[in-house]
Amino acid sequence: MTSKGISNGQKILIVDDEHMSDLMRSVLRRLETDGFRPIVVAPEGPHVGGDDYEAQTLFAMEEERPAAVLLDVRFGEYDTDRFKGLSILKKIVERDSSMPVLMFTQYAQGPYRDTAVTASLGASSSVDFIDKLASPEEVVLRLRRLIGTAPETIRIGSLFEIDAENAAVYVIEDGKRDLIREMQGMKLEILSELAAAYFRSEGELVPFSRLERFSEGDDSRASLRVRIRELKVSLGNAVSRDFGATELIINIRNRGYRLVPPVE
Amino acid sequence: MNYGIDRTTAAIWIKFLNNRLLKYLRKGGAVLAAIGLVLVLLSPVIGEPISPGSLWWIEPVAYIGAGVFFLGAIAAFVSVQLASRRQGQNGGDRSWSRVTQDYFDTFAHDMGRPLRRILGKQREVRALLGETGEATPRMVTELLDEIEQQAPNFRLMIENVRVLVDLEDEHARPAVEPVDAAAVIRNIADRYLPIARERDLELVWWCEPAEFGLVYGDASALDHVVTNLVDNATKFAAEQIEIRLTRNDSHFLIRVWDDGLGIAESHLVHVFDRGWTPELSARREKQSSGLGLYIASSLSERCGGDLLVESKQSTGGDLNEHHAAFTLSLPLDNRPTAAR
Repeated sequence: MTSKGISNGQKILIVDDEHMSDLMRSVLRRLETDGFRPIVVAPEGPHVGGDDYEAQTLFAMEEERPAAVLLDVRFGEYDTDRFKGLSILKKIVERDSSMPVLMFTQYAQGPYRDTAVTASLGASSSVDFIDKLASPEEVVLRLRRLIGTAPETIRIGSLFEIDAENAAVYVIEDGKRDLIREMQGMKLEILSELAAAYFRSEGELVPFSRLERFSEGDDSRASLRVRIRELKVSLGNAVSRDFGATELIINIRNRGYRLVPPVE
Repeated sequence: MNYGIDRTTAAIWIKFLNNRLLKYLRKGGAVLAAIGLVLVLLSPVIGEPISPGSLWWIEPVAYIGAGVFFLGAIAAFVSVQLASRRQGQNGGDRSWSRVTQDYFDTFAHDMGRPLRRILGKQREVRALLGETGEATPRMVTELLDEIEQQAPNFRLMIENVRVLVDLEDEHARPAVEPVDAAAVIRNIADRYLPIARERDLELVWWCEPAEFGLVYGDASALDHVVTNLVDNATKFAAEQIEIRLTRNDSHFLIRVWDDGLGIAESHLVHVFDRGWTPELSARREKQSSGLGLYIASSLSERCGGDLLVESKQSTGGDLNEHHAAFTLSLPLDNRPTAAR
């Protein structure tokens, strides 16, 4: 798994009474690996209930100003707290309607979705639901999308970095960045398009229809093939490698292209 | 409430008498009762001409009329009672679905508990192995991966059961909400990417146009149908799985394509049957319950769309020319016309 940009220590508030479970620990670990700072809400006392979590969550929101909240639906074993997470969600959204909240439900599309929850939320609120069994990678991916900050730089594996703002591509060697001068103009645009799709979702392909503007002549596909080849050569030269047909940028069944981070 | 008909007898009769039969019984009973009543009332007029000059026949005619009246009245009464019980039983079906859903929601948490623990431990083991700094034997990672992959399997299975119960409820209506269709597909692709990778399959998805926009429909149903299709594709693909989201003027289309051996023409008609599974080698663990595609198809229909299958099997000449593709088509806007 490759790191896709650094999250600059953004704080994530974790509100789940099972935060000590192995499952949650693996999520916390993943968040830290990806550069987030998880802050666990853990009220103290002999009989901690859903209300304590609610109070502490609202307090922590003011205190810590997190970038997002990871919230469980169910709290404790009491039936009254079965949907406590939903009332906490409501309170969070009331305080800050734009706060991104990722909710852990039992199943990805539980009965919670179409109940009072969605009705009580404003159109601007960014709330998403995820299954508690989802892999830590999936949780972090969804959280990052929910926060929605487009990264200034996108890393492609451990070899390259694209700086969208400064329109530059760097090669990374021993932690240092070296500008690849050859990468500019159309080559840079194609690479940025492919990198943006890759950042959104690893399996996302950029179809030919979206790349046609980079081609010329009667045979647009052939022209595009030449451009991609040049692009791969430029990047290959920077690391003294020759990227083959199944490396870096690959043609998928003549549908389009997809970026694949190179193996070091 | 007791209507004077023995409960078990009634239950048996309800099974055998359909609505149309009950309707005839009710009408026939009413007509019979009316004839009886007419006989009683007109017994002097009818009885007298039978034996002219004597009143002897008037009494038996009245008795016969009374008997016919009671027979008809009883038939009509019983049919009305049975019909109302039948209706009650249908109403019971609806609440059965709802009660089951309620139970399901209540126990969903507990049902997932063992798996959550197993998955948690597995991820913990992985982290601990990572911390040792030594390379983990490939065999161990593969075993851990295998455990990890059971999670989406379980998620889909539980969700299938929930949807199956929901489909039993004829009166349930799909939700209609603004849905970011591309985001739904993206989430499914993300969930299945590790599984595809583990099976050496390439999974790609894309949408055209790039900015797909919102559609109005049931997000949960969309997610569920496509998840079942992608799950199916991961079982049969040889190397490639493609998910493509496109739209026309009235519908949006999701095509899930795989380069597997394809489906025999004789099997195509059965693909959406409940419980149908292809004949796989008996040595392998059965991978499919035969419910996924049935549910996908029923759910698409309920949402006002349809699900089509198309397949090509290799014909000797070009061995690579085989595939299976499912295309789900749903209305862009499923809101009632007045609400738009």
